[in-house]
Amino acid sequence: MFYQPKDIQKALELKAELKERGAFLAGGTDLVVLMNHGKAAPENFIDLTHIPELRAIRRHNGTLELAGNVTYAQTGKLPIRCLARASLSVGGPGIRELGTIAGNLATASPAGDGSTALLALDAEVELTSVRGTRRLPLEKFFLGYRKTALAADEMITKVFIPTNYQTDWAKNGKRGAMNISIVAAAVAITPKKEIRIALASVAATPIRCYQAEKFLARNGLGAASIREAAETVRREIKPITDHRASADYKVHLSGVMVRRVLESLVKA
Amino acid sequence: MKKPVKAKSTSNSLWPLRFKLNGKKISTKVPPTRTLLDFLRLELGLTGTKGACLEGECGSCYVLVDGKPMNSCLMLVPQVQDCKVTTIEGLAHNKKLDVIQQKFIDCGAVQCGYCTPGLILAAKALLAENPHPTHEEFLTGMEGNICRCTGYNKILRACEQAADEMGLKKP
Amino acid sequence: MSGPTDTLEESASHLHVTAKSSAAYETGPMKVVGKSALRLDALGKATGATKYGQDLFDKKFLFAKVLRAAYPHAEILGIDTRKAKKLPGVVAVLTHKDIPGTNLHGLIRRDQEVLCSKKVRYMGDAVAVVVAKTEEIAVAALKQIQVDYRPLPSVLTMEDALKVDAPKIHAEGNVLGEKHLRRGDAPRAMREAEVVVEDTIQTQTVDHAFLDLEAGRARYDGKMLTIEVSGQWLHEERRLIALALGLPLEKLRIIQPATGGAFGGREDISIQIYLGAAALKLKGKMICLRYSRSESTIVRHKRHPIRVHYKLGAKKDGTLVAAQITFYVDKGAYASTGIAVMRKASSHATGPYKVPNVWVDVLGVFTNNNPCGAMRGFGAAQTAIAYEGLMDRLATKLGMDKAELRRKNLVKSGDEVTTGQVVPYATATECFDAVLKKIDWKNRSYETPAPHLKRGYGISIVCFGLGYGDGFPDASRARCRLTADGILEVYSAACDVGQGLINMIAQIAAEEVGVPLEKVRPILSDTALTPESGSSSATRQTYFTGSAVHIAASELKKQLQDIAASHLEELVYEIKIADGAAFNIHRPERRMTLKEIARVGKKRGFSLEAMGVYKPPTMPENTQTGQSMRAFVTYLFGSHVCQLLVDTETGEVKIERYIACHDVGKAINPDQVIGQIQGGVAQGIGMALMEEVVMKDGRIMNPGFTDYILPTIRDVPEIECIVMENPDPGGPFGARGVGEPPLIGTGPAILSAIYDAIGTPIRELPATPERIWRALLNR
Repeated sequence: MFYQPKDIQKALELKAELKERGAFLAGGTDLVVLMNHGKAAPENFIDLTHIPELRAIRRHNGTLELAGNVTYAQTGKLPIRCLARASLSVGGPGIRELGTIAGNLATASPAGDGSTALLALDAEVELTSVRGTRRLPLEKFFLGYRKTALAADEMITKVFIPTNYQTDWAKNGKRGAMNISIVAAAVAITPKKEIRIALASVAATPIRCYQAEKFLARNGLGAASIREAAETVRREIKPITDHRASADYKVHLSGVMVRRVLESLVKA
Repeated sequence: MKKPVKAKSTSNSLWPLRFKLNGKKISTKVPPTRTLLDFLRLELGLTGTKGACLEGECGSCYVLVDGKPMNSCLMLVPQVQDCKVTTIEGLAHNKKLDVIQQKFIDCGAVQCGYCTPGLILAAKALLAENPHPTHEEFLTGMEGNICRCTGYNKILRACEQAADEMGLKKP
Repeated sequence: MSGPTDTLEESASHLHVTAKSSAAYETGPMKVVGKSALRLDALGKATGATKYGQDLFDKKFLFAKVLRAAYPHAEILGIDTRKAKKLPGVVAVLTHKDIPGTNLHGLIRRDQEVLCSKKVRYMGDAVAVVVAKTEEIAVAALKQIQVDYRPLPSVLTMEDALKVDAPKIHAEGNVLGEKHLRRGDAPRAMREAEVVVEDTIQTQTVDHAFLDLEAGRARYDGKMLTIEVSGQWLHEERRLIALALGLPLEKLRIIQPATGGAFGGREDISIQIYLGAAALKLKGKMICLRYSRSESTIVRHKRHPIRVHYKLGAKKDGTLVAAQITFYVDKGAYASTGIAVMRKASSHATGPYKVPNVWVDVLGVFTNNNPCGAMRGFGAAQTAIAYEGLMDRLATKLGMDKAELRRKNLVKSGDEVTTGQVVPYATATECFDAVLKKIDWKNRSYETPAPHLKRGYGISIVCFGLGYGDGFPDASRARCRLTADGILEVYSAACDVGQGLINMIAQIAAEEVGVPLEKVRPILSDTALTPESGSSSATRQTYFTGSAVHIAASELKKQLQDIAASHLEELVYEIKIADGAAFNIHRPERRMTLKEIARVGKKRGFSLEAMGVYKPPTMPENTQTGQSMRAFVTYLFGSHVCQLLVDTETGEVKIERYIACHDVGKAINPDQVIGQIQGGVAQGIGMALMEEVVMKDGRIMNPGFTDYILPTIRDVPEIECIVMENPDPGGPFGARGVGEPPLIGTGPAILSAIYDAIGTPIRELPATPERIWRALLNR
């Protein structure tokens, strides 16, 4: 059955009833690709694209509230650099109009561009079901390779991000556009001058580089410190060799990307 | 364009589709797991929208949904419920070509032509939102379309000329 | 003769003497040829009206799907289709037993079964075809077919294939064949050489990745089997299909739908026989079939990955004296056009360079990887990467400017190329000078915006023989006809696969007869209507089919002049046809429109039709020496220069400037020539930097566009084109061709630039950022 609820409540009721037998459908940029390849055939679909509430972007006390179905096209226009640039690095215009942040988070690909930028932003997700609402920091949301903390009856209804971090982003791919990253780096500086470094495609999920962050907190953002922090990144990550790139190249690249993004942030 | 086939309502799992296509109202019942691409092509006989990769990586399946470019190979038909959809067939008005179509022809930007409908729609959406794109903005607007024949040079020139001509028309 | 020039109009206006112009008095600027007329089929393509293979489908048709091999190498012990046949909605399930003729196809050797009976040799091999009421049912039925396999050890590398105890892929063993070229005494000259460089290059498996997936339909009405599928050589396909289906040729009609790219990828039989067999079995029914992208990639033949051991010897002043080259060609599972590719690689082994002593050995080896066949360049692309790479190494070793080293050794008019054939008019130096001038080679700058960015300049020169050559029969035929409405119809079975053949044919016919382009109607690629014109490959269509059209148009014009002359009672030598009317050049008021000529001519029993056949012969290359006085009908010259930046921290490459010069003889349609150059360079960029079919255990790991990386608009810079026109007397209005050389010149220029930037060569393609980074690391 195909359901097209007009509000969040109805969607939640359907999901509570169907659980794993009902797949949420937003942009379809993950699910329908699998269907086209004969690798997925959900019994039921809960189409979320006709719930206007889920496309809303609201400002609330210095925090930006992105509803779950906000698209990459929308986030590409936000004045939050790492998220905007990450969004514009996804696919092409068509994919950006379809793809949603909730979809990206729920798929939990290690290469998720939106996820990685959000991780650097200390994002929090709001997970809602008929049982109620809970809020999780994004770090606690990714549990493993394509595994999240979403319960079988839950939907990602909101993502909260700060508006006062200084951020930037860089991504490596095999060509100039439409890349699944070899490595991507999102870096943020909080108003308290704390550093957040998030990397895509170097682990089973997007990850934070805590050791490098700690190093920078102790040693500041001078040129030598940044270079050393990049080495720390290289030491703390353990990517695998896959069909896109070898592990040693990813390690090397990660250091380069983090260093460059930090340098550009400092210059700004 | 073929008249949409009214499917037999033998099961309640057919979706009662209702949307506007190239300015015309469409109302019919469809199997909900059909992609928009297959529906347009096979059900409605509108074969201008193409399928080439079925993964959202080539843009040849682009349609405009409420003016926004989307990969129709990744959409299930019910998702355009109550939306305004434009395909390449809907661009020309009363046999008069859209400026972008004309420029593609004039600039030699058409070789095998398979990517052409998707590119024209990408350009249409881009110029509707941003009538005077910079070079970088043109690239951003067209980076979702793969062309295997032309090397993109003439395509870019066609889009630039279309923007110029559309700009001239403004009061 | 026009020289290097940036202005096409200038170039076009210099030439006004045509090779086969029939009228002695005919000179003056041309009206249609040399003009960038709009593509005749562009309107349909820009409005979505044009029908490609898959656009011919209708829900009412029956849908077919193909079952593929489950292993890269296995024996088939049994095929059980009973369960599949019982599925509601399934109309037929075909296996090898249902192929009525000989269950084989293949372009040079028929070694590929249509539906495998005893063995599968790669994962794209076909085992069964299901026909059902819908595609979904057909797909479901595939899963119900039970095939009992005995897996055999797979042979995945050439080394494994050549081992003494290697499993035999084909009964006769794992070697397809060898090619040899012996010119002079290369081993001795190499020993005596003052400088020697040597290297090994490995090129990769490349996919054509045309957008228009294999798709089409077929129907047998009891008298005629009509198959509508895009190929590249309709009549050859018809012969192969007829043999497989046990049908007489005249009962088989092949029609080419609009085609979205080929690049050699439609040369082998694809879905035609599946459709034909199903249609024969289900008389009266229209059967349609389409591939998904992954099926298309998994099934189709690929560009041969080639390992080249190249040894080059020279004097201290840079004069080349010897070349010894060995090519190891991974053929994949079936022969396809492999022998011809091997031969093209060998015959182009020293490219545009004069080398008196050349020894080449080519070995084609079967593996359980995808069969390899034609792809734009056809062996010459891989070869060019090797010879240009070695020239760069030589320049480094000699401490010589790499442009000067090349210039010194370029073939000139009257010189012999690799096969010993004399090239009467060579423009390699002119093309080379043109691109060096444009980039201002002497003043090139290596200053970059940041220290981690290194700039490099690369150059390449192309010398490419067009047409099949090697004595292989190469012919094109065309027919011109004047209708009662005064329309000039041009019939040819040549396939427009996107390259613009339709305009080439129409413009030549219009120019020769003397009618405006709007009055020409090309009728193409239908075996029932159009005469055989050979394949759209080997950069041959302009030269061969263009000539056939020119001849047919010329013959028709004679007839029309005769009718007009006798009707107007004028001397035939004073009758000129221009702008759609015939008139006396001295007294133009004595005139007749073509429509009137048609009316009068028909009444008087004239055919108003003429045929043109063009089949200039070549001579086979000697099997021991690879030498031939006429290996190819003519040669194409070109040169590229590439300016790029390498980010030495990431290995990423950014092409800043790309200049390509090609001598096309005569640009029938200059805009289309530029389009072909730019498109060829774009494919060359893909091959040089990002495209690679990744195979693991005989399985393609990246069959989709997510991971088979094609160049996007951000990857292809402005490609500055210089079109040179030095006419070839054997081509229509002096035209030669342009299809393959632009691709052939690109990979070498890019790799040469990377070498210039980082000081170390990339020996394995594609030169991905990771490979470049690793080369820097290991330097």
